[in-house]
Amino acid sequence: MNASVVFFLHGLTYAGLLFLVSSGLTLVFGMMNVLNFAHATFYMLGAYFSWTLLRVTGNFWLSLVVAPIALFVIGAVVERFLLRRVHVLGHVHELLLTFGLAYIIMESVKWIWGTKPLAAPITGFLAQSVDLFGIIYPVYRLFVFSASILIGLIMAVVLFKTRVGIVIRGAVDDAAMVGALGINVPVLFMATFGFGAALSGFAGVIAGPLMTTFPGMADAILVDAFVVIVIGGLGSLGGAVLASLMIGQLQAFGVLLFPKFSLALIYLLMAAVLVVKPSGLFGRQT
Amino acid sequence: MSRLLPRAVLVIALVGLPFFVGKFHVSLMTEVIVFALYGVSYNLLLGYGNLLSFGHALFFGLGAYTTAVALNHISGLGFFSAVILATASATLVGFLIGFLILRQKGASFALLTLAFNALFHAMAIKFTFITHGDDGLSLLRPKINLGFATLNTPDVTTFYYITLVVVGAAILASWYFTTTAMGTTVVMLRENEERMKFLGYSTSLTRLILFTVTGGLAGLAGSFYALFFSFVSVDAISITMTTTVLLITFVGGSGRFTGPIFGALVYIYLQNFLSDITDRWPFFMGLIFIVMVLFIPGGLVQLIEDIILWARVRWMPGTAEAGRES
Repeated sequence: MNASVVFFLHGLTYAGLLFLVSSGLTLVFGMMNVLNFAHATFYMLGAYFSWTLLRVTGNFWLSLVVAPIALFVIGAVVERFLLRRVHVLGHVHELLLTFGLAYIIMESVKWIWGTKPLAAPITGFLAQSVDLFGIIYPVYRLFVFSASILIGLIMAVVLFKTRVGIVIRGAVDDAAMVGALGINVPVLFMATFGFGAALSGFAGVIAGPLMTTFPGMADAILVDAFVVIVIGGLGSLGGAVLASLMIGQLQAFGVLLFPKFSLALIYLLMAAVLVVKPSGLFGRQT
Repeated sequence: MSRLLPRAVLVIALVGLPFFVGKFHVSLMTEVIVFALYGVSYNLLLGYGNLLSFGHALFFGLGAYTTAVALNHISGLGFFSAVILATASATLVGFLIGFLILRQKGASFALLTLAFNALFHAMAIKFTFITHGDDGLSLLRPKINLGFATLNTPDVTTFYYITLVVVGAAILASWYFTTTAMGTTVVMLRENEERMKFLGYSTSLTRLILFTVTGGLAGLAGSFYALFFSFVSVDAISITMTTTVLLITFVGGSGRFTGPIFGALVYIYLQNFLSDITDRWPFFMGLIFIVMVLFIPGGLVQLIEDIILWARVRWMPGTAEAGRES
């Protein structure tokens, strides 16, 4: 009994991370029609930036602010100077560009930080454990989950209650129309891409102390994030929430119940969803 | 005449290659031919049919594993029987997966192929009783008994000629495919699918046939890959192998038949060269990828054509128009 509650909580923690990574991916896809293969490397960069900042300053909260800002800048630069140039060539080329970028970032990380897993030690009250109705659970995992809920709520408020949100949702539906209405679409694309990178970086920062920081962490989450956006429906934030929760639990209990086939389970779930509803749970029918 | 001459030169060069260069280059050229077929099959899918797949390594790896497993477990299995078995299994899996996922289009289709590739990759790692997981499988190339002579396949030059004939024939068959009515239908799929439907074509059937055929061709390439290295590891079925074919196709030039063949030549030599001088070759591969996409989106074939056209305009003004037509 206790074990399954612990695994449930583990699943929620992973779902939180997955949501942060996949929400940016799905928004960028919905708006710009770009499948960003470098998205998970932003997550990895977030973790490495944070590790370095922790070594230098020892302040976790500082890295939680600085690393996402750095990734926002990197994302915006990538959009402005690379993606925008190949936009006219169609999305296969944009996709290939992000592919090449993923290679470069991955190798640079190995170059700068090495291939060994790095542990980012967490101090203060986050390092402790709490008694949750008889289960001793690390505070940090609860923090990861609450932080992703908080970010999710802020995103929901911005998207559904503000003018900026209306513009973004409009651009996801039809970017050309939004442009025709006088919105500066290129700047919007740049900001959204940067914002997605920042979210991914934020997830990387909080994932660092949870799992160790190593070059393979990008590939590990990339496929899961792709599965999340396919199940949730491309471009749908609500779908990303639900699918992240599903995949998180499936990963947690898959390891517990079918250790040999835990990898295959998420693909089977995806295949099942697509057979019933080809556009994903919340996707628009195309 | 002007079309026949370069082709004759190419054939003579390929046949005569082992007489002029050392074993090292003969071996590299064998690899180039294998990867050329892999690229050609992918180009048929993406460049001709406009179907973006991230799962092509699935068929390549399946062909490689089928060859290795069959040769290890069926005693006395012949060289060509193993190759045919591998091609057939990749074709069959291509048909089944295509049947399941071709309802999807564009990015969803691409992601689904990625997922299937990841699934098969996971299976290759986990099903250690067949695949030996991360350790990989080694195999011995069976000798070919032609009745009047026995081909000593472990020899580098002999294997080069077998690859040249068999894989070369598959590449020629792919080229022939593009000239048939079926091949034209595939190009129509790329150009205007809606219109094709209006004209009464079953586009889903065309897609399924294309996906199945290219799966089989990739399986054949994979089979020769396994025979070439006498070894198969999970690398053969990994996402990286899919990236490789994307790179080969795009560096060479997608949508043009000769593109991936040039791509394979450049890729294999570049990879060998770069991995000799630096451990960071994926970094430079990524860089080349970006530079190609930014500055030469049509690939090397496009670049060569542009240079030829430029040279003709520059030095032979009168023939430029004639050159454009060919």
